[in-house]
Parts: sequence; structure tokens; C-alpha cells
Amino acid sequence: MGKNNLIQLMKEKAAGVGTIVHEISCVSEAIKYAVDLNRKKKLKILTCPGLDQKDRDSLQDLCKSSGMNLLKEPLRNHAYLIDTSLTWVDYGIAETGSLMLASDSEDIRMATMLAKIHVAMLPIAKIRLNTEQIEAELDEILKNNSPSYTAFITGPSRTADIERVLAIGVHGPVELHLLLIKEMKS
Amino acid sequence: MIKTAQDMKSYKKQIQQALADSFLRSALDEFNTVYRENRPNVYKDIDFNSLRDAIAENKDSLIPFLEILFEEFKSNAQKAGAIVHRARDARQANEIIARIAKENKVKKIIKSKSMTAEETFLNTHLEKQGFIVTETDLGEWIIQLKKEGPSHMVMPAIHLSRYQVGELFEKQTDLKFDSENIDKLVKVARHELRPKFLEADMGISGANFAIADSGTLGLVTNEGNMRLTTTLPRVHVALVGFDKLLADLGSALRILKLLPRNATGQAITSYVTWIKGANQSLNTLSGKKIMHVVFLDNGRLSLSKDSVFSTSLRCIRCGACANVCPIYSKVGGHKYGHVYIGAIGLILTLFFHGKDNDRAIVKNCINCQACKEVCPVAIDLPHLIKKTYARVIKEDGKTPVKNLILSKLMKNRKLFHFALRAAYLAQQPLSRGKSMIRHLPFFMDKNHGFRSLPVIAKTPLRDIWQSLGPELKNPSLKIALFAGCAIDFIYPGQGEDLLKLMKKANIQVDFPMDQTCCGLPAMMSAQEKTAKELAIQNIQAFEAKPYDYILTLCASCASHLTHNYKKIFKEDKESGQKIKLFTDKIIDFSSFMDKVYTFSQTQENIETKVSYHAPCHLCRGLHVTNEPRALIQKAGYTYVPAKDEEVCCGFGGSYSIDFPEISSEILKKKLDNVEASGADILVTDCPGCVMQLSGGMDKRQSPIKVIHLVELLAQKK
Repeated sequence: MGKNNLIQLMKEKAAGVGTIVHEISCVSEAIKYAVDLNRKKKLKILTCPGLDQKDRDSLQDLCKSSGMNLLKEPLRNHAYLIDTSLTWVDYGIAETGSLMLASDSEDIRMATMLAKIHVAMLPIAKIRLNTEQIEAELDEILKNNSPSYTAFITGPSRTADIERVLAIGVHGPVELHLLLIKEMKS
Repeated sequence: MIKTAQDMKSYKKQIQQALADSFLRSALDEFNTVYRENRPNVYKDIDFNSLRDAIAENKDSLIPFLEILFEEFKSNAQKAGAIVHRARDARQANEIIARIAKENKVKKIIKSKSMTAEETFLNTHLEKQGFIVTETDLGEWIIQLKKEGPSHMVMPAIHLSRYQVGELFEKQTDLKFDSENIDKLVKVARHELRPKFLEADMGISGANFAIADSGTLGLVTNEGNMRLTTTLPRVHVALVGFDKLLADLGSALRILKLLPRNATGQAITSYVTWIKGANQSLNTLSGKKIMHVVFLDNGRLSLSKDSVFSTSLRCIRCGACANVCPIYSKVGGHKYGHVYIGAIGLILTLFFHGKDNDRAIVKNCINCQACKEVCPVAIDLPHLIKKTYARVIKEDGKTPVKNLILSKLMKNRKLFHFALRAAYLAQQPLSRGKSMIRHLPFFMDKNHGFRSLPVIAKTPLRDIWQSLGPELKNPSLKIALFAGCAIDFIYPGQGEDLLKLMKKANIQVDFPMDQTCCGLPAMMSAQEKTAKELAIQNIQAFEAKPYDYILTLCASCASHLTHNYKKIFKEDKESGQKIKLFTDKIIDFSSFMDKVYTFSQTQENIETKVSYHAPCHLCRGLHVTNEPRALIQKAGYTYVPAKDEEVCCGFGGSYSIDFPEISSEILKKKLDNVEASGADILVTDCPGCVMQLSGGMDKRQSPIKVIHLVELLAQKK
């Protein structure tokens, strides 16, 4: 499958399970997206575990000028407060529109589980077709002798436990945003 | 909390209650249809059959080595800081978990959904020890508030309406809710349960996979509560059945392609989580979680060595066997299982929760094969249910009288046929010369009055056969008719029509007189010895001449002769070849007409509208689906499809006598669908289905005629 088709499939399948997908050009655009989104939803509190110091600083500045609050880790102390979390994810799985996220760090887990909105950033180059194509990478993580907590996340939290009616946002994030980042300077 | 009937009398009472629950009835009936209608769409991108077979094969290769996989899992998980236990039975598992809680000074416990914890009644045990336990899966929380067990493996509260849920939530929170709005009810759970996660000292989860070569647990969920349960509290305990052990990640990823699709129609669930060892926790002094994995045996290891039942350990708990079951859709999970519900529940209950809890429910299978067809790990569920029934009878040490009489009668063909002839005489005062009995005598249970009963023929087919002149001079083909009891003794006319059709094509049909009942009724009542004796009699009856085909007009006979005879003689290597010679020749009417007879297209267009009912044992038992519909059209009739054509008619042989109240409900939906199709004639190709459907149509005095396909085709030419 060509690169463009793969991106197209990822977008299509992710959108199909209720993920809001955008292609953007760089991390600073993602930071702006998260703050704008927070403002639009009239929310106040952000987190960004796992981001570089530089990116964190620019988010911090933007939050300050927008009257928002960027939480300091560990997040456990503010578990009730998290509105929006901005994090990286490791891989995209196009066939199902899923995101793979190594969440060994407790803060990453808190941020992506407790937030109302999870904004996930994924470099386009990290999109794979299916689970077979990330099996080796995942297996390497699992066969390492250290503990690990790895998630496939596909869309927002959902349930159909009452009368089989689909309802979004039962325990996890109510919204999942995926920002596909075109060019990554590493 | 769970009160499973232990005898037929109380079971019947429970069934009546369930049938009277109008919400349950409409919700499950709709679910049954919707689930089946969505399936083609769910599987449009992947090949269900080949994936299913690959998973089944992989599981079978692992089942004999569960203890070795356990040791491997344990060693790998412990390297990453988990503590791994094994529990012999439910009680030991509960005690281990309570001990872990005590050792860690736990007060509050939260749980994510685990069927294994339901199996051990873990909550009851922990609550008795003074722990506060809160279920956090929405459905599980609802049934915890309602003090009930799950009524479905995937959707535990499917039996409750939004209003019932709203009431429970109002009681719990002292607030008023707009129950119409399900979204709001869901947010109540989010709001009420969030603090519980944060306050809890220990989280208990199950697992879908236990991967031996890395010591990893895989969990497949949607709501996000499992992630919170395994993250927020200091202690995490996973309770996992031995059957969840897999060799490697690849095996788990393969199952992951089918499990969500089969369970909820999703390509993947919202969350699939791979947890290994004691992960970071900033809630403990060490900075690591206290992580325990408890493996539950509770009969699984002995099942793994059982030559008949080991395949039941393939089960991945998708719940689909309930979703498609016509009986589940009428009575719901609480009346169709103990803890585990649906077809697999009728089997596992015996092994996990004992014969007393399985005694009544195990009888409630109509053998329609719907569950077998959707099972993602190819478990022969209807077959194992009958095997389970046989084992319950054996463990009980007494065979029900009805089964004994049936068995005794059937073993002796002459006696059996004598009884059928006698039945003709006995029916005369009731039928008053008509072909149906519409009003049952007063001494019969009124539940049986949902259909008119057919009258036993005055002269069975075998007695008139020679007078019909079956011998041909130079036939192009010689076949034998396996009549089956229904054609022979109730519908000999269908046999006459067959002969008429065959003569036109210069095909000679023999009627071997020593043939007897195929044995399916014996198998259905778990009389395995009798089923075997009947099989031997039939094979001998057809040995005399080298027939090209053995044709039968009965879908149930065809399927039984084809598949079950091989199963009956599975252990018997010597007769293997003989059986194969016999079973290879068996052909159903539609396949014969399509492939051998090559029934030709008529030019005529007949306006009469014909609807079709697909017999379970034809469409699922023999995978014959297009042929009968094509034949209706070839004969010039206008075929009008009806909804749910491939759903059982509710006959199931003795099933409709044992469970008339359920049979009649299944039949009602079927007839409603046929009437809605606008058909003039309803055609099917099984005399058993003809009996049920025509009895039902007659009772509701519908103008729709019900006939066998052979009658439709014989009319034509």
C-alpha cells in the first residue's frame, strides 16, 4: 500500500470510530490546537506528559496567555482536574484506526485515561497497516524483562451496556483527537 | 443471587416468567435479528472461516500443555515483578485474593468486568470478609446494584430497560434522572464511579489473553474502566482462567481479529491493553504496583485432558452463541445458563458449577446449529450440549422415564412401527377424518395447543411402496430413499411425489424395508447407545445394493446421517470405511434435484408467490442454501423472501413437546415474517418443519399453504 493510501486509510478508519483527525505540519501547531480546543470547550486544565521541555515550555506560555493551567506531574495529585491531555503516541494502525501508546509511565496513563479530551500526536511516518506490522515492535517491548503497559486506543471510550445504545465517554476520554504530523525534525 | 432451576418443574415456572417479560422479549428478539443482519458487514474485510479454523487449531495445540504454558508465564511475569498464583478451585482463588487484600491493608476494591470472577462468586466472598467492592463496568455496576448475575457474557445488563436502570441509579444517588436519555444515565456512572477509582486500594480485573512467552496479560475492553482499575489503586490482581493461556503474541493478535467482531461487531474495541509485571505506581513507597496474577483451574485442567470436552476450552467468551440462539432470544440469559450463559453456558455449567445447576437448562437446546455456525473457535456446541446432557444423566444415575421409553421403543424397529400404526387408530376420534388435529383433548397440557397436530397416515409409505410400481426397466440411475419416520408414517404423499418426479427422469428409487429411524431423536435425548444401534441397523439396511445415492427428503435425517454417524463411530476404527461408504452417498432432496437431476428451468411464469423456510439442518447442517430457492424459481414460481428465513421454526423434534411454550414463540415470529412477505405458499424441505409450520398456519387459520419442495416440483411437471 502506498504512503498516501495508508494515511487515507488511517484517517478514514479513525474517523469511522469517532476520532477527530487532522493533518498538521508541526508540534507547535498541535500545541495551538490543544489550547484552542480547550478554549472552545470552555475548559481550563491541560496536561502534557512525555513532551520535550521545549514543547512543554511553549504550551505553558500559551496556557498562561490564554488563562489556562498546565498541570505539573505527578498527575496523581490532580487526578480530578484534568480536562485535556496532549501526548505523543507511538504508532498508528491504519486498518482499525488505532493508536499504540507505550504507557509505562503512570503520568501518561493518568493523562490519557482521566482526561475529558485526549489529543494524540502521531508522526505520519509511524503509521502501519495492521497489527502484524507492529507485532515485532510490541513483542520486543513485552519480551523485555521490565514491566510494561502498552495500549491500543481506538476512538473515545464507549459503551452499549444500556439497551445496546451506543454512548460515548463512559469512563475514559469523551473525545479523542488525532493530529497527524507531516514532517518531524528529530 | 443466582437461582438456577434444578428440576424441570421449577425451570418451567421460570421460563413462563421470562416469556411474560415484554421488554426482555422485544429487546432480545430485535438483538437476535440485528446481530445476524450486521454480520456480513462486520466480516466484509476478513475471512471468518479461515481465521476461525486457524484459531481453533492453535488453541487445540495448546490445550494439552496448559500447565507448561502456566510455568512459562509465571517465570516471565515474575521477572517483571508480578507474583503469580494458581488456584485449584473457586474457593481457593477467592481465598488467595482476600489474603492479598488483607496483606496489603486494603479496604476498598474496584473491579473491571471478569466472567472468571463471576464464576468464583468473588464479590460475595470479599464482601463477607468486610471489603467494599464496586463493579465499574457499566453493565456490571448495574447488575451489582440490582443484586443479579450477568445475563450475557459481554452485555451483562442487556435484560434491563433504561427505565429500570434509571430507577436503580435514582436509588443509589437520591437524585432524579431523565431515564429516556441513555447518554445522561451513562454520565451518572462516570460521575458516581470516578471517586471510587481514586479511593480504591485494590483493583481486580480479568484478562482475555495470558501470553506465556512474555508473561503478559492482554485485555480487550471498551469503556476505559479496566484501564483505571489497573492503574489507580496500589494493588492490581488479575484473575485468569487457565484456558486464557496462549503461547505468544501472534496467537493473541489473531484472536483479536475475531473477538471484537464476533462479540460486538467492532473491528477492534476502544482499548486493548497489554500489561506485564509491576508497573510504575506513585501510590506506593517502592514506586511499583503490587501486581498479582491468579490462575484459576476449577476443572479446566481435567477438561483439557477430556477427549470429548477439551474443545470447550477454546472458548474466547464472545457471547455470540447467545446472540444467535432462538431460545436465548425468548427467555434471556438468566434462564439460559447459570453463570456462563448461552450454548457454551449449558456445557460449562456442568464442569464449573455442577450437575444440579445444569440438569434443567441442558435440556433446553433445539439443536438448530445457529451457535455452531457463528462460533469463532469452531466449537461443535450442539453436539457437546447433548454430550453434556448424557453426562448429567450419568452423574445423576437415573435416566428420565421418557428417554427410557423412547430408547426401548426405537431399538426395536417392528415394535416402533407397530406403535406408530397404533397411533393412527388412537387419533381417529380426534381427527374426525381430517388431516390435522386442531383441538387437543382436555387431558393434554394446554401449552401444546399452539399448533394443529398432523395425523398419522392410515397406510405408511413402506406399505404402499411396491404398489406404486417403483421398478424401472433400464434406469439411468439407481438410488435408495431414506424415508425417515415423518415421511414414512405422516407424509407418505411426499414420498409418492418423489417417486413420480424420479420416474420422469428414469431414475429408479428403492425403499429398503429394514430402514428405521435415523436415530436423531435418541441422540437428542442423550440415548447414545440407542442412537448407535439405530445407525447400525440403517447401515445394514442399505448395504444390500450398490446405490448411486441415498436420498432423503428430511433435512434433519440428512444432516444426522452425514455428520453424526461419523461422530458416533469416531472411536470405532474398524467400521470407519463402512460408515464412510454409507455417509458419502447421503444426499438431500434439493442438492439432488440441482446437481444430479438437473431440474430444468420452465418458461412459464406463475404468479403464485412462494416463500421459503430454510431448515436448520439443511442451511447450517449441510450448507445447502441457494439450491432450494433456485428450484422454486426454476419451477416458474415467484419467490418472495421473508425476514429471518434461516432462523429455526421451533420444531426440533421432541423439543417442541418438551418446551411447547418456547417452541410456540419461535414459531409465532416465523409465521409473522412469512405472512408479512405476502406469500401464497410456504415451501420448505424438511417434513419436520412442514409439520410445525403447517400446524401453526392451520391453527391461525391462515390461507398460506405449507408444503414440501418435492410437492411443489411434482405439481409442476
